[in-house]
Formats: sequence, C-alpha cells, structure tokens
Amino acid sequence: MVTVSTPNGFSLDNSGRRVVVDPVTRIEGHMRVEVNVDENNVIRNAVSTGTMWRGLEVILKGRDPRDAWAFTERICGVCTGTHALTSVRAVENALNISIPENANTIRNIMQLTLYVHDHLVHFYHLHALDWVDVVSGLKADPKATSELAQSISSWPKSSPGYFRDVQARLRKFVESGQLGPFKNAYWGHEAYKLPPEANLMATAHYLEALDFQKEIVKIHTIFGGKNPHPNWLVGGVPCPINIDGNGGVGAINIERLNLVSSIIDQSIDFINQVYIPDLVAIAGFYKGWLYGGGLSSTSLMSYGDIPERANDYSDKSLQLPRGVILNGKLDEIHEVDLTAADQVQEFVNHSWYKYADESKGLHPWDGVTEPNYVLGPNAKGTKTRIEAVDEGAKYSWIKSPRWKGHAVEVGPLARYVIGYAQNKPEFKEPVDQLLKALDVPVTALFSTLGRTAARGLECAWAAEKMRYYQDKLIRTIKSGDESTANTAKWEPSSWPKSAKGVGFTEAPRGALGHWIRIEDTKIANYQAVVPTTWNGSPRDTKGNIGAFEASLLDTPVADPNQPLEILRTLHSFDPCLACSTHVMAPDGQEVTRVTVR
Amino acid sequence: MTAHVDKRSADDEIADLSTAKHHLQVRQTAIYVYEWPVRLWHWVNAAAILVLAVTGYFIASPLPSLPGEASDQYLMGYIRFAHFTAGFVMAAGMVGRIYWAFAGNVHARQMFVLPFWSGKFWREVLIEAQWYAFLRDYPKKYVGHNPLAQLAMVTIYSVGSIFMIVTGMALYAEGAGKGSMFDMAYDLVIPLTGNSQNLHTIHHLGMWAIIVFVMIHVYAAVREDIMSRQSMISTMVSGWRMFKDDGK
Amino acid sequence: MARVETFYDVIRRQGISRRSFLKFCSLTAASLGLAPAFGARIAEAMETKPRIPVLWLHGLECTCCSESFIRSAHPLVKDVVLSMISLDYDDTIMAAAGHQAEAILDEIRHEYKGRYIAAVEGNPPLNEDGMYCIVGGRPFVEQLREVCSDAMAVISWGSCASWGCVQAAKPNPTRATPVHEVILDKPIIKVPGCPPIAEVMTGVVSYILTFDKMPELDRQGRPKMFYSQRIHDKCYRRPHFDAGQFVEQWDDEQAQKGYCLYKMGCKGPTTYNACSTTRWNGGVSFPIQSGHGCIGCSEDGFWDNGPFYDRLTNVKQFGIEANADQIGGTVAGVVGTGIAAHAAVSAVKRARMKSGETQAPAPSTTSRD
Repeated sequence: MVTVSTPNGFSLDNSGRRVVVDPVTRIEGHMRVEVNVDENNVIRNAVSTGTMWRGLEVILKGRDPRDAWAFTERICGVCTGTHALTSVRAVENALNISIPENANTIRNIMQLTLYVHDHLVHFYHLHALDWVDVVSGLKADPKATSELAQSISSWPKSSPGYFRDVQARLRKFVESGQLGPFKNAYWGHEAYKLPPEANLMATAHYLEALDFQKEIVKIHTIFGGKNPHPNWLVGGVPCPINIDGNGGVGAINIERLNLVSSIIDQSIDFINQVYIPDLVAIAGFYKGWLYGGGLSSTSLMSYGDIPERANDYSDKSLQLPRGVILNGKLDEIHEVDLTAADQVQEFVNHSWYKYADESKGLHPWDGVTEPNYVLGPNAKGTKTRIEAVDEGAKYSWIKSPRWKGHAVEVGPLARYVIGYAQNKPEFKEPVDQLLKALDVPVTALFSTLGRTAARGLECAWAAEKMRYYQDKLIRTIKSGDESTANTAKWEPSSWPKSAKGVGFTEAPRGALGHWIRIEDTKIANYQAVVPTTWNGSPRDTKGNIGAFEASLLDTPVADPNQPLEILRTLHSFDPCLACSTHVMAPDGQEVTRVTVR
Repeated sequence: MTAHVDKRSADDEIADLSTAKHHLQVRQTAIYVYEWPVRLWHWVNAAAILVLAVTGYFIASPLPSLPGEASDQYLMGYIRFAHFTAGFVMAAGMVGRIYWAFAGNVHARQMFVLPFWSGKFWREVLIEAQWYAFLRDYPKKYVGHNPLAQLAMVTIYSVGSIFMIVTGMALYAEGAGKGSMFDMAYDLVIPLTGNSQNLHTIHHLGMWAIIVFVMIHVYAAVREDIMSRQSMISTMVSGWRMFKDDGK
Repeated sequence: MARVETFYDVIRRQGISRRSFLKFCSLTAASLGLAPAFGARIAEAMETKPRIPVLWLHGLECTCCSESFIRSAHPLVKDVVLSMISLDYDDTIMAAAGHQAEAILDEIRHEYKGRYIAAVEGNPPLNEDGMYCIVGGRPFVEQLREVCSDAMAVISWGSCASWGCVQAAKPNPTRATPVHEVILDKPIIKVPGCPPIAEVMTGVVSYILTFDKMPELDRQGRPKMFYSQRIHDKCYRRPHFDAGQFVEQWDDEQAQKGYCLYKMGCKGPTTYNACSTTRWNGGVSFPIQSGHGCIGCSEDGFWDNGPFYDRLTNVKQFGIEANADQIGGTVAGVVGTGIAAHAAVSAVKRARMKSGETQAPAPSTTSRD
C-alpha cells in the first residue's frame, strides 16, 4: 500500500514491518495495538483495537432508571463513580429533578476525589514504569538520592537511610529472582533516561503512593459507603447530614467532616510535595522526547464538569472548561450541545457492530448496538487466532464517535488546552509556570509528556477544589441547610410517560456522556459515549483516525521487540477499555446468540 | 339408602366401613370421619396460618416507624418471634399430622395421597368440577374429602405447606447461623433458588398460594355445608359427618 | 507479614558459604538414604523461591477487584506483592506487555506446575467463540483454561468470576460465564462482591500462606470466615430493625437518625458478606452506615433481584413485572371475586332448588356401589 492521507491530516503507510502489542498492559480492560514501522523503526501506521465487549446497554433495557447508576458504575472500576454520577445526572435531566445544594457539593467532592486518586495511581502505578527503570535504582547512591529528593521537595521521607532501606528491600526482591509484576519488562531499555538516583526516588514514591492512594478514597467511603463503587442516588446523595440532632452519629456529622478534611489536607500535601516535584523532575530528563502529540495540537473536546451551583450545568457554573477546538485554532472555542443530533455521532464502519446504513453516524439517543464480529479480508490468522487485524475493515469493539464529523482528543490535556485558550488563570498560570520551569515552549504541551503533565497539574487543581467544596459544604450547613436529597419525584408514578435526558461529566480520562430514554417508567434506550471511545476509536467512514492511532505516528521505536515508546504514549491517555467497549442497545434489538463450538 | 363410603381403599378399611354400616341403621346418617388429632391439628394449624400470613406480610412490608429509642421498642422483633413460633407450630403440626396419616383412619391419609393412576378418581374430579360449575344439580357425597377437594388438598395445601416449612426453615437458618441444625435446610435450599433474595421471594409467593387456598377452602366448606346437604364445618369440630338427605 | 526467607537465605545470612550449603545438602540426602543426585534436588528445593506465584487473569470485568485489592490496609498491598506472593502476571499493573507478558504465563505454568495460584478477575464470554474478550489475539477463555489447568487452586475474585455479575445480568448478551462453570477440575475459592472488600481479598491470600491450607468453604465455595453471615446479622442498625424503626424516605428524619434502611430496599437481610463487620477502606464505613441500603453485590444474580429500592423482588415470569405482593394480591382478588360470584349463583340456584323440591322429590343420589 502506498501512503494515504487521512482527512484529519495524517499520513499512513502500512508497508513496513508490523509490530503487535497484545495485551497492552497497565490499562483498564483489554486492548491491542498494531503498528507498522519503517526501515528506521519509525511508526508509520497505527491500529488500535478494543478487545472486549460486555453489552451493558443491552442489559440496561427495561430496568428501573433509578438503578441505572449501579449498572453503569460497573462499566469501570478504575474511574469508579464517574459513570454513576453521569447516570444520575442523565436520569435527573430526563425527569427534570433538581438536587439540593449539598448534594451537588458532595457529588463534586466525590468526583474530585476520583480525580485525585485516579491521576495519582495512573502516574505512579500505570504510567511511571514507562519512564522509570526500577532495576536501575539498585545502582543508586542513597545519599545522592536523598540530596536529589531534598533539592526538589520538602517531603519528610527523604533521608539517606530511608532510601537505603527502600533500596535494600528492592534488592532483596530483585535478587529473589521472582520479579512479580516487574518481570519481563524492558529494564535497561535505552529509552529510559533517568539516572539511578531518580529511578530509586521514583520507585520509593511508587511504593509510598501505593500506600497513600488507599487513604484518598476514604472520602468516597464516607459519603458513598465503599470504594470502589460507592453508592449514589437519583435526586441527591444517599448520605444524610445530621450535625447536632438526635442520632447524628448515624449520619454525616462533625467527625465525618473532620475525616474528610484531614484526607483532603493529606492529599494536597502528597500531591504538592511528591507527585508534582516527581513529575517536574522526570519531565526534565525527557523534555527532549516530545513525541505522541497526535490530535492534541488540532482537535480537542471537553464537556466541562464540577458545577459550582446545583442544577446549573451552564459554562459559567462549570469549573472545568467546556468546548471544542478544531484544526488547532485555539482562538475559536466551539460550543458543545449534547442534545443536538448533528454533533455527537457514532460510526461503526470499522467497529464490530452493525448499522442498517453504516455510511451514517447515529446520535446516542438513536444509537444501535448490534455486535457483528467479522475480520477483514486482509486480516491474518483465524477468527479465534488473530495475528494481524485488517484496518481496512472492521477491527475493534470500540465505536467511532465524532463531533460534527471530527475525531477529537479528550482528557486532562484537552481540558487544560481549552482552559488555557479561554485564558482561565487557574489553568493557564500553572501551565505557564511548568513550561517555564522546564524551559520548553507552549507547543511542548502537544505531546505524550504534555498529556502526563496536564494530568499532574489537574490532580493538584482537583485537590485544591476539594478543599474549596469541603469548606462550601460546611458553610451551607452552617446556614442551616442540611438537605441532601429531593424525593419529590422519587416515585415512578410521578414521572411522565415518556422522557429522554442526557447527563455528562468529565471523567478523569475525558468527556463522558450518558443518553437515556425512559418509556413507562423503564429504560427504553441507554447509551454511553465514554472518553476511551473518543480516544481509542478506530477509523471512521471518511478515514479519520482517532487519538490513540494519531499519537503513535512518527514516533521512533528504539527496539521494535521492546516497544516501550508505544506503551508510554498509549498510557499517557490512561486508557479504560471496559468503559469504551460497551455501547447502547436500541429498541427491541436482540443480540444474536452464537453457541460456542 | 346408602352412604357413599369411599370404596377405593375399602378393602383395608373394614373397621371404618363397619362404623359406617353401623350408622346406616340410624335415620340421619352420621359417620365418624375426623378423629380428634386431626381436628385439633386442623384448628391449631388454621390459627398458625393466620398468624404466619399476617406477621409474614408485615415482615415484608413493615408497619410505619415507631418513635423513640430503639431500646424501648421491639415491634419487628415480636412480629418475627410470632412468625417463627407459628412456623414451628405449623412444622411440628405437620410432623404430627404425617404420623397420624399412618396411625389414624383412612380419612387421615387423604391429604397426602393422590390416586393419580386411578381413572375413576379423575372421573369423579370431573363430576365434582361440574357440580361446582353448576352443570350438575346434585353432587356426589363423600365421607371424607371429595376428589376435587382431595386434589386441591394434596397439590396445594400439603405440598404447599411442606414447601413453606422447608423454605421457612432455610430462611430461619439464615438468622440461626452456620452450623445450626437448620443450616442443613439452608445449604440444600439456597443452591436451588440461586440466592437468598429469591428464596425470600418464593416463600412470599407461597404465602399467597396458601392464602388463596384458604379462601377457596373456607368458601367451599361453607357452601357445601349449605348446598350439598352434608355437614362440613361441624364435622371438623365434632368429627361426625351428617348426611341430611339420608334421613328422609 | 515479613518476607519469608528460604532456608538458603537464612544459612547464607549466618555466614555459611554456598560450598558448605551444597555439602550440607548432599549429607542430608545420604542421611535419608537417597542417591547423591538427590543432594542437588534438595539444594534446588531449598533455594526454590518461597513466594507462591500468582497469575492474575482479567476477563470481562471492570477492574474494580484490582482496585479494591490495592486498597488493602492490613496487610498493605505493597507487602503482599513484595513479600508474600509473586504476582507474576496481572495485566493491570505489570510492567511487561505484549508477547513478553504472555511469555510469563508459559514460564510459570511449566516451572511451577501445580504450585501456583490462578486468580481470576472477570469471566469469560462464550458467545461469538469467546471473541467478546480477546487476549493476545485469542479468546480469553482459552487463556483461562490453560492457566487453570496447571494451577494448584483457583481464586475467583469478585462477583464476575464467582457468579457472572453485571455482564451476565439478563439477557447476558455475551454469555458471560462464571469461572466454576468453565473450570471443573480445580478447587475454586469464590470471593464474591462487587468488588470484594480489600482486606477480605488479602485476608484470603494471607490465610493460605499463613496456615498453609485452603480456607474452609461453604457449599457455594465461599470462605466461611467472611461469607457465613448476612450483612443484616451484624448490622449496627439491627436494633432499629427489631424495634420497627425505618427510614421511610430519603433524607427524612429517620434517615438522619440512622434508622434501618429495610424499607428503602436494603438487601442486607439477604446478602452474605463481611461489610457490616470488616467494613470498607480500613473500617471507615460501609454502605448502610453511609445511608444507602446494601444492593446485595456479593449475591449470585443480584442484578436481577431488583429494583434495588424495593423490598420485594420484581418477578418477571408473569409477563408483566410485578412483585410477590402484587401477584399474590391480584390472584387473591380474582379468586375472591370468583368466590363472591360463585356464591351468588349458588344462592340463586339453591333458592330455585328449594322451590322445586316441594313439587318433585329430589332424585336419589347415584350410588357408586
């Protein structure tokens, strides 16, 4: 095949050697990626495949809309809660239910808790090993490591003795010969650039972050009873507030508020003193590696989230920016309307689903999800032994959502670029500071590293916002308002015969929308279009490639047998495959049953 | 002038028949049908079912909340206690009743026996059904249960109440805990129902089946008492069944 | 729990050379009356890594089990991973990817045949030849069968692996199937929950390592220590249940007082799990304590026992959805109406009969003799 140009400005050439990574690990769910590298081992074609489908939309049909949050929450246990929040918003939107101020504030705190947790765990436990060579840390001098750590942060765990202990434990572990989760990785790969001391420091923080992350989610446990998968409620939040009445010990009281407060403080400390300094230090060693930009310099989208005022989802109320940037025009922010039939549409030409007319996309309210697993004529292998997929045909369990026909990237970088373009100081200033500290131009944002950096900055932003909403919660309670739920429309008998609604959030990974149709108090149609569907989408009808595929192009791979660079860039999106590969079932479409063998 | 003794099992019921024959001598035929253990069981059981149905309903759909300290109240506790106690009375009664099916007279056996392979039985079920459907002017007369009643008794009441006892014990085992003597019921039943919630649901449906049975049973008894000219309700008190027309 | 050292670790720490160690091994072999060649095997056994390999597979799932696992407060998950087990394969956290990752599975299967644990999160879909979940270009169910075939035991993490969970809720479009219906010849420990409590997960693992045996399981295959009682049996709001004090509506006065959530559909009375005692996330709370009823997430088929906010299950077999009371009440109503109608007709008929009786004698009843 000769080089083809995609409508969204990329050239693809699949003539070179095909490299397959399956499974892509350190992500949520199952994913495969195939690339073609040229004679210089530079990626010239990229094909990403979502390799699972669970059919939750089919399952939701006919259920009670008030239960939908629990089903959709199980779409993903990593971004736990964000689907549930989106779902209750969709139902509230459909049934015109307003929630009390406190419920909005508590939901914000829970959503921000997820941001802080998810970004932190992503950086240290899913992404860091793409930048940090754990084994190299064995060669580090604990004293020099201590000096490095103290030069970048006032975090107390930074003595030479501390790093010596970590190193000793690491050594014992490595010498046991049982490397556990670190087995068979690309240790010693030339794409690792950190000196041994930085590797040791980052490894120590990998373990510290592992200990600390379990503290953050306790906020979910306080308001939602457990984590993963806290409980939510249509019309508010399930946890009542009782500050000084009888039985206050059974509700949100001062002890519970103090616990939330203390966790917020610890989170702010950890992010500011560990995460951000590590991010800056690591980025400093990699600022020459600015690959992986993909769509980020051209097409980005954010729905916005964290409404300041209850029931107000306007741009003004939303604390996270909202809008679409196309063709790299930062001075023109398009407005998003999730109810408009011509804006968000999903295509299935290259997805293992069937539409009556696959040349057209469908708006989620009219979405159809009928699985259709077929390999293309140029695929290698058999139906149950895929050696290489055929990107000219259907090749993924992910659909291709497009905004007015455009493939867009979503996620922290999208939010930050849009916020930056809107000149919002709380997004612009930290970015400028970071760019200055690293001494790189603003265009450096459009890269794998930029994505990773935006996530870190957003984590710090979210922790501060948690503090703000916790204070706001206390202010509202002080004013005498302890209400947390509106039950006026709890009973299905109070609902209209037919209703439709849309709920949206910004999940940590990006824009998330749920579309619901309710008929006779039951779910008639439910559709979720999730961040990884946007980012991980296969090609669409016109041949536009999605964000994952775009980001891999033109990246040199030092050793195609150890494609560390591919993982690094894919991980910078924080892919969530269980999310992306479930879509919605239409009216009356029964999924074909195929009996195994 | 003949009393219609159920002949299906007449060969081994000579004593019973002789009792019947004895009564043929008198003007208004009266036959001793229900021995005292059966009668006692019937009324104790009826009381237990009443208690079980009422308390069971309120366990599933509790009364409005009571004010005050939890330590001052024990309403659900009492309701559940009454339910469990009545349940045990019903279970113990069932054990005694099964014993009496062997020890007692032929009528004591009827509610556990279904002459499934007897064509005659089914023909008479049909006749009885026609009587209830107003297609016959007169019913046949039976000393014990008529065939239709027997069919309902065996399939709905006996099977139903054993089902309720077994599922009830399995539910009781949930509170009694692992290792308790009821645990066996639980371990056997739960895998059949899938989960505890399903077990609750079918136990609850069972309650309604028995309520419906009771409604029909009471109605049929009252109606037969009046319409078929044979005693019904008093029979379950005194044990004697009177055949009014036979006195003519 | 500290890292378990091998015997070799210990004697090396005491200053004994490898040479002496090997000599010790051959002497041991001799003293046991074994051929000298056994000395090398003893040495190998003593040097053999003591941490038990765990291969953690992911089928159709949402990764909430892994997320829960890393929340464990005691033991800390870093201690579990660094010192208790050798988590050689877990695609959510492992550094390796692609064929290097897949190679680990083969290596462990052969080197530790019968001596490793297969931990399964999620379940295999069987429709579409299993290709609703693809790993390494192949159906997940194949990977599952292979890895389990040489394992000493299988742990089914969470409700997906144990029962099927959300993707197996009706109509189960992918035919997602719990592990025990695919793996028939291995001991399977089910640790249900969506997800299971972190400390329950690490508790099961550390129980096996500490007491050197499988936990005692109930008839459904769950460890008795965590799953033998209902949430309800140990719920701190139980006194309100017994007292008949219930939350009647969300955020009402009773809710603020922490009354029983039974009327809000709490499934605590039908759910076997440790939430009301072990609680969640280091004992901070559990769903009921935070005001929402239990949704029964550790029970088989809990998704189809809904709605979550009704005490009584909807029974779909009756064409239209209805709960037991609606079905029973309807039947009773129909029967009651029937009885009333029947009684009316009977009365009319009887009146007619009575008037007829005076004119003609009643036909004698048919004798069956």
